Amino acid sequence: MAQKSPAKNKKAAPRSPLALWEKGPGGRLLTNDAGCHAWVEEKDFRRVIAGGLGAKDPLLKRLSAGGFVRERMDFDGLADRWRTLNAHLGQGPGLHILVLTLRCNHKCLYCQSSAAGEGAKKTDMDLKTALKSVDFAFSSPNPAITIEFQGGEPLLNWNVLKAAVKRARQKAASSGKELKLALVSNFSLMTEEKARFLLAHEVSICTSLDGPAGLHNNNRIFAGGNSHAATVRWIKYFQEKYKKQAPEYRVFKPGALLTVSKHSLPRHREIIDEYARLGLEDIFVRPLAPIGYARELWGKIGYTPEEFSAFYGRCLDYIISLNRRGVVLREKMASMMLEKILNATEPGYLDARCPCGAAIGQIAYNHNGDLYTCDEGRMVGWEGDDIFRVGNVFRDSLRKIVSSPAARACVVASNLEAQPECSRCAYKPFCGVCPVYNYEAQGSLWGNMRSNGRCSLSKGVFGAIFARLKRPADRKILESWVAKK
Amino acid sequence: MMKQQNIKELVFETAVYSKEAVDLAAYVFSGRCGVKVLPGRSGARVRLTGGDGLDGLAGELANEALNQQCRIDLAKKNSKLAGMIVTKALLSACGGKNPGIRGGK
Repeated sequence: MAQKSPAKNKKAAPRSPLALWEKGPGGRLLTNDAGCHAWVEEKDFRRVIAGGLGAKDPLLKRLSAGGFVRERMDFDGLADRWRTLNAHLGQGPGLHILVLTLRCNHKCLYCQSSAAGEGAKKTDMDLKTALKSVDFAFSSPNPAITIEFQGGEPLLNWNVLKAAVKRARQKAASSGKELKLALVSNFSLMTEEKARFLLAHEVSICTSLDGPAGLHNNNRIFAGGNSHAATVRWIKYFQEKYKKQAPEYRVFKPGALLTVSKHSLPRHREIIDEYARLGLEDIFVRPLAPIGYARELWGKIGYTPEEFSAFYGRCLDYIISLNRRGVVLREKMASMMLEKILNATEPGYLDARCPCGAAIGQIAYNHNGDLYTCDEGRMVGWEGDDIFRVGNVFRDSLRKIVSSPAARACVVASNLEAQPECSRCAYKPFCGVCPVYNYEAQGSLWGNMRSNGRCSLSKGVFGAIFARLKRPADRKILESWVAKK
Repeated sequence: MMKQQNIKELVFETAVYSKEAVDLAAYVFSGRCGVKVLPGRSGARVRLTGGDGLDGLAGELANEALNQQCRIDLAKKNSKLAGMIVTKALLSACGGKNPGIRGGK
């Protein structure tokens, strides 16, 4: 413990606070760059900012322990905490998103993936590009590589998917890097044969589930049948395989993603009950972004940040109440934020990093080999604006891509220390901005956080999480979501 | 006969706004209406031309100029810290030698 001696710091006012703060229910939330947090009542807060805490004041002791008192800081401890919270700064691109095809057999209301019709031409990744993309992913300095197969619907390009999986496993074995493979699919084209291959090669499976059949099928339109039925059938299949496991390989629990549309807002209980019914242990309450098709239909399917925040709070309360009844279910966004807030660890959520993950944490590989800062950046490219294109897998090296003007601009623009609103925000240690969102919604990579919808929404989510952390009974449950086993 | 265009003009006082902030804000709005930055007696003038809704756009432009000015002012205070974070992130991602942030191990 290396506490700074008060005597050596004569310039500082006695017991002056070093904190970011935000008004919350019944007081102020204090945070600092090391990711510590503390609640103080409003009357105490006034004493704190005036430097009016006496040497024997119990509040001084509590705030000193969290690194909030300038003259009593444990620099080594706080630096260690900052380092683990920002571990991503030393890693390089870990997530590699291969867009195997732009074709999709669904026509989802909110699709952000710029999907093309099932019969579209020249929208599949060819074998050569897929193998080159896998090799490129392994040129990252990151010792842990995740390759995510996306689309469109990636099962429409099955042979290339299979070859890419095999190549990735070979590369992992020869390079010694840790490899995670993930498939995001709507399951409508899943077969026993494909499922067996994916299981045998330890590919984790994720799908979309928007709630009960009526709501899901209303959002996720599938001319070829009942999207919900196919999704549920294969979730159950992979759940069963997970329970049984296999002697030769690890079987992962299947995951599902919820995309919240306007139609979801009054139905939080039904949606969560559907996840619980299927034995899914995580539900990711994801907001829509006004990108792709969703932007054109925003009036019909979108909502205000305040509406989403209220919905999110209701979801958290209901999930917590189910936990009290013994149901194992966590909200994924909260879990990832709690990893930061409670454990000071970086959960690998690229949307909430400083700087954001664009090119330095993730790379999106388009079907034709073009490389983008992220999948959202690729979608902007599909709309005709290639501002987020950083190179091509055949022509450029990783170094060239990371040092491309687009990558550097995104890194600089998403540095919260350079954002006027963010640099003083209490949620800064846990948050991140998205240059693609800013560009699409406000016309510049920097955006203007005072009127930024994503910022309002993030503040709503953090407000909901911290409000529940303040209640001892809720806090206990939230702590259990990220307890180290 | 020429159709009369809607015009809205804003003045940004030099005492408050730098030319850089005004130029950046004007650029952000250049895709939404006609934007022209002109010299003025006490600061920069920004002339907006186009169709309807110029009053709303003018308000948004004023907010954006304030945002840009705050960003420039903030950079004067903590550009060193911001620069260290960006440098570390970019160099690490390239696989280059990783610079420790001062005070780190």
